[in-house]
Amino acid sequence: MDFFNTILMPFTWVVSWIMWAFHEAFSWLGMDPANGWTWTLSIIGLVLVIRAALIPVFVKQIKAQRGMQALQPDLRKLQQKYKGKTDQLSRQAMTQEQMALYKKHGTNPFSACLPMLIQMPFFFALFNVLNNTAKASQGGQGIGALSADDVAQFDASTIFGAPLSASLLHGGAGNPSVVVLSILMILAMITSQFITQKQIMAKNMSEEALQSPFMKQQQMMLYILPLVFGIGGINFPIGVLIYWTTTNLWTMAQQFFVIRRMPTPGSPAAKALAERRARKGLPMVPLLGERKSEEEALPAPAAPKGQRQQPQRKNRKKK
Amino acid sequence: MSTSAQSSLRPAAAVLHFLWTLPQQTLILLLKGYRRLVSPLYGQVCRFFPSCSAYALEAVTVHGAVKGTCLAVRRLARCHPWNDGGVDHVPASDRYERMLRENPARTPRILVLNHPVIPADDEGRAAA
Repeated sequence: MDFFNTILMPFTWVVSWIMWAFHEAFSWLGMDPANGWTWTLSIIGLVLVIRAALIPVFVKQIKAQRGMQALQPDLRKLQQKYKGKTDQLSRQAMTQEQMALYKKHGTNPFSACLPMLIQMPFFFALFNVLNNTAKASQGGQGIGALSADDVAQFDASTIFGAPLSASLLHGGAGNPSVVVLSILMILAMITSQFITQKQIMAKNMSEEALQSPFMKQQQMMLYILPLVFGIGGINFPIGVLIYWTTTNLWTMAQQFFVIRRMPTPGSPAAKALAERRARKGLPMVPLLGERKSEEEALPAPAAPKGQRQQPQRKNRKKK
Repeated sequence: MSTSAQSSLRPAAAVLHFLWTLPQQTLILLLKGYRRLVSPLYGQVCRFFPSCSAYALEAVTVHGAVKGTCLAVRRLARCHPWNDGGVDHVPASDRYERMLRENPARTPRILVLNHPVIPADDEGRAAA
């Protein structure tokens, strides 16, 4: 455990410093420093800082996912080659060829594990801070950038009568406020997660993505994640639940924004955006990651029948 | 040391063999559990083929606990936004390949999955 804490040390310090800074700012604005709501807002502030810092990663990821028009023909050829071959080995072979293709074009849509991985140490660090408040305040110690006084104050602070450092499974079950608040927040987390995922699948996926073999796994995730939140939720202190709920709500809002303003080309949401703009008499803007010259790529209208045209060799670009 | 003639080993040697491969077997079990339970939560997110967990499983199976872990950690370190990913196989182990040549039936599934036979492009015939 000490080894773990040593690795987390810098993250714990950053997390506690941001919380401390927000707490100071809210106190300066005239809020009661010992009030649980001041500390709650500090945790929410922490989420906003971390998620705002992650926006560039998120945008880079969307661009990588969509900036793949260039290799669409190659991808389609690959799909044609493996059409109907659904056994695991063929799938593996297809994945390998796909990866080689991404590498050749210098793009890769898969970077999704990064935003999750980046958040994890911060989450653990916050968990560390909130989990240790009771022990640290008894021993008169500080945690990271929080002084011993801050920790004692945090440990004693409550919202709706529920201490921020109490959890449902570990000593909080006797306090009805802790029980109600924990369950409400777990439900909020599950609902926001479910809505986010459903929105992505129903509105923001192109036809091709919907038919990919990864869809099944996505669907599984839709039903397993609530379970994870439920089990995690009853173990975690109220403070961590505030962090988790806020970050989920952020994800949901971010997703709504993306679906409304910059949907995936070829998805139902993109059609809806085009219709909205057409109703207002506005021209369609190119979507994020979309090529401007997409219309040119469409097959030319069939030539009028009559005299048969000699097939012509297209001028290939020479390298 | 002979891993191929496990059944004819004397009991003491069998116990030693078990203890010697215990860390490796534990890691394999953990990795398989992770791949069965946790990986499906994310779907495909890895920028490499084979994915990091498949790479780790093969590395530990083929190279043993110590070298396999080193290889897996190095692969994880390669996963960052400035890497375009692509195909990245576990380096081969001569000793393990010799063992496999002696009894091909013992080839672990992960080795088959990580090295799929790529069917030939039938572009040439289709265009003709």
